[in-house]
Amino acid sequence: MSADEFDPMIERLFAQTPRMADEALFLATVQASMEKRSRWRTLALTSAGLVGGVLAVREGVNFNFSAGDETTLTQGVRTAAATAQGAAQSGLEGLGVGSFDLMDGSGMMAFWIVAGALVALLAAGLVKLSQDV
Amino acid sequence: MSKSLRDLHDVELAAQAAAGGRREYGELVRRHGSAVRGLLRRMGAAPSLADDVAQDAFLQGFQRCSEFRGQGTFAGWIKKIAARLYLKRVAREARYVAEVEADEADVVVDRAGVMDLDEALKTLSETERVCVSLCHGAGMSHPEIAAAMDLPLGTVKSHVKRGLDKLRARLQPAHGSGGRSTHVG
Repeated sequence: MSADEFDPMIERLFAQTPRMADEALFLATVQASMEKRSRWRTLALTSAGLVGGVLAVREGVNFNFSAGDETTLTQGVRTAAATAQGAAQSGLEGLGVGSFDLMDGSGMMAFWIVAGALVALLAAGLVKLSQDV
Repeated sequence: MSKSLRDLHDVELAAQAAAGGRREYGELVRRHGSAVRGLLRRMGAAPSLADDVAQDAFLQGFQRCSEFRGQGTFAGWIKKIAARLYLKRVAREARYVAEVEADEADVVVDRAGVMDLDEALKTLSETERVCVSLCHGAGMSHPEIAAAMDLPLGTVKSHVKRGLDKLRARLQPAHGSGGRSTHVG
C-alpha cells in the first residue's frame, strides 16, 4: 500500500469511533454540569446586580444637591444632573406633559426616577436569567 | 412545522446552542461525545481522564459555541478543543519528558479480522501517538500541533512520520490478511 493510500485509510480508521456504552451517562453528566454552571452564573450576576443596586441607592440617598460647601466634584455632578433633568424636561414638554416638573423637590424626583429605572433594569435582567435557566 | 433535534444539522444545532439552547447542545454532545472520548483515549488518556477532559471540552464548547460558524465540521472543532485541553493537562504533569517505547504488539487484528487502530497505536511512543492522533484524529495541521504541544515544527513532522511508519508496518499485513480472511474455505 502506498503512502497516498495509507493516509486516507488512517483517517478513515480514526473516524470510525465506536459508540460507547455509557454514552447516555456521559450526556447526563455534561448536562448536569451545564445546569450547575448556569445556576452559579445566575446567582453571581443576581448578587452583583443587587449589590450594585444597593450601593447606587445608598449613594443616591447620601447625595446632597444642596450642600453648603460645594466642591468641584459636586458642582460637576450637579451640572450634569441639571443637564440631564433639563433634557428630560424638554422631552416631557414634547410629549405634552411639560407641567411635570423634574426639578421640583431638590433633585429627589430625578433620584427616584433613576432608582426606578435601575430596579426595572434589574427586574428585566432577572427575568432574562430565569428564562435562561 | 419545526424539525426534531435529531433532524437538525450540526451547524443549525450549534447556532441554536450559541443562543443558549441547552437541549440543542445536548444533542451535539450525544452525537459527538463518543468520538471525542475515543480520540482522547487514542491520544493516550486513561478512560476516566478522557471523560473528564471531554466533559470540560463540551462545557467550553457551549460557552464558545458562537465562535463555530460552520467552517469545517462541529466534530472537528470540538475535537480540537478537547485535544488542546488534554495537552494542557498533560503538560502540567510534564509527561512528555519520558519517551518510552511501547512493547512490540503483534496482535493488531481482532477476531473479526478488522484492523484495530487502537492496538496499533499502542506500539507508538507517547509523543508519536499524540502527534498522529492530533493530525489524523483531530484534523490539526503540523504547525497547529507544534504550537499546541510547544514543540518545534520539524520535531512534530518527524513524530508524525515515524508514527505513521510504525502504523503502516503493523496495519499493512493486517489489511492483507483481513481481506483474505473472507475467502476461507
